[in-house]
Amino acid sequence: MKLEIVDYLIIAIYFFFVIGIGFLLKRRVKTGNDFLMSNRSIPLWITSLAFISANLGAQEVLGMAASGAKYGLYTAHFYWLGAAFAMVFLGIYMMPFYYGSKARSVPEYLKLRFDEKTRTFNAITFAAMTVFSSGISLYALAMLMQVILGWDFHLSVWIAAGIVLIYTYLGGLTSAVYNEVLQFFLIVLGIAPLVYLGLQKAGGWEGIVANVDNAKLHLWKGMDSPAGNPMGVDAFAMVFGLGFVLAFGYWCTDFLVVQRAMISRNLNEARRTPIIAAVPKILMPLIVILPGIIILALQTQSAAFDLPLTESGQTNYNMVLPKLLEQLYPSGILGVGITALIASFMSGMAGNVTAFNTVWTFDIYQSHIKKNASEKHYLNVGKATTVVGILASIATAYVAQGFNSIMDLLQLVFGFVNAPLFATFFLGMFWRRTTGHAAFWGLIAGTASAALTHGLTVAEGKGGWIDNLHTFQSGTGQAFNIAWIAFVVCFVVTMVLSFVTKPKAKDELVGLVYSLTPRQTDPDKRWYKNPLWLGIIVLIATIVLNIIFY
Amino acid sequence: MNKILDLRFVIGLFFSVVALLLIGYSFTTDSVAAKNINRWCGITFIIFGVSMIILSFVKDADDELLEE
Repeated sequence: MKLEIVDYLIIAIYFFFVIGIGFLLKRRVKTGNDFLMSNRSIPLWITSLAFISANLGAQEVLGMAASGAKYGLYTAHFYWLGAAFAMVFLGIYMMPFYYGSKARSVPEYLKLRFDEKTRTFNAITFAAMTVFSSGISLYALAMLMQVILGWDFHLSVWIAAGIVLIYTYLGGLTSAVYNEVLQFFLIVLGIAPLVYLGLQKAGGWEGIVANVDNAKLHLWKGMDSPAGNPMGVDAFAMVFGLGFVLAFGYWCTDFLVVQRAMISRNLNEARRTPIIAAVPKILMPLIVILPGIIILALQTQSAAFDLPLTESGQTNYNMVLPKLLEQLYPSGILGVGITALIASFMSGMAGNVTAFNTVWTFDIYQSHIKKNASEKHYLNVGKATTVVGILASIATAYVAQGFNSIMDLLQLVFGFVNAPLFATFFLGMFWRRTTGHAAFWGLIAGTASAALTHGLTVAEGKGGWIDNLHTFQSGTGQAFNIAWIAFVVCFVVTMVLSFVTKPKAKDELVGLVYSLTPRQTDPDKRWYKNPLWLGIIVLIATIVLNIIFY
Repeated sequence: MNKILDLRFVIGLFFSVVALLLIGYSFTTDSVAAKNINRWCGITFIIFGVSMIILSFVKDADDELLEE
């Protein structure tokens, strides 16, 4: 793929704008709260778009297109089964606790609801996870630029990291959020023409139906057994593993996304943020999954659309989007497409870094190292943490370059930690008997059970490092099953231990537990300001999509 | 200064500049496909960009960070 001057100009203009946003917002940052929490002053439309944009990183844009080609429309379950329901649940039921408790982060809510050790466990694993995710984003960006454009790996790493550092260091969370919104529009408008051109070349939807394996054009067909669908997952693992545990665990407890709602101006807007974000989210498969299906149809027309192979000789599905860009975009719009890819990587990286510096500053530094310092002090710590976070991301990118399997292992371990977390939150918010000791040991037991399940099962040659008691049809099926097992173990252990340990007094739990929190009564009766009505509309639309593409 | 802190204005300006580049480039390239794609994308981008800029001038005190 060869870029011309116009393409480089578009990339340069994008860099100029993202850095410019950082400089413009610099004068607004005076305290640690401004830098790390945006002083809870961001308008609803910005928080909503930032909410999904923080998730619209490289793994989403490249990964979902790859899954679209590998698994077909079944990939849409991540949106139409997973995300939509979880986002509505977060807005209606969980946000009142996060926002209403005045917690500044998700780990801090755990401190208020349970105790310091549960908060610290969550804060440390989350902080480590965000830095490594950011590093993986950086590594993937540099590798992609090297493979498709021939750019130098080191140059890509340092330029991308440098730009993210400049705008997050200057403008803090507000700058990251503003850039996420710009990046959202760039990704959507930069990839939408690709979908249009691809569809046109493939002969429209009729052409896709005629040329793509019918098994890849359904959502629920063949779900009675893992062998009956390309994803290798049965309905139970899909609904309970992905739809409930993984989706709710991510969208309702991952501070990276929840933080975008927590910086809203008031509780009503914080509740509507994930629900309004769910509207573009359920349309996102058109941008991120459809290209993967389109390329399958185009491969029947021309060998030019064949995907390259990995070093191990398997199809490299991650090259779906770059291949389409190369074949369908001429110079000019190609610059926009490449910039959209760069934006997705930078968006993912900045989101992780800003979540990392908030959790590090509030939940680790302020909690364990220096309490009761001045706002100015925490501002400086937040800024220093941003630099450290970026440097750690760069180091991670270099580690990944040398030892790719280490990154797989780290992602796997983090998956083990995340899977049971929703059980802890669910019990903590809806059962006031849940105790801090039970929550902590429940989390440990859930994480251990996830690791154990992985060690005793095999899928696509992975896992089974203890023994092979069961072989899953696919790695995805293995992940979904590990998730629900970890959830159940965490849930049961937490419940049992809660009965034998002392719960907090009722008055300490007001605003933190559903049964002890006054119901929100919104004086504004307009339906579009009511989270419940908005949530119902989103869910109806999601169910209709499930029926149409059954 | 206040206007350029309005995110709608910033996004509108970005897409308008990119649109002008695409449209300008469409007049210089020889390829018919590149001409058409860049021109139509440029027109779409400029409609979006100008709409965002116009929206930023619609006075709505609740909508922007800087106006609080």
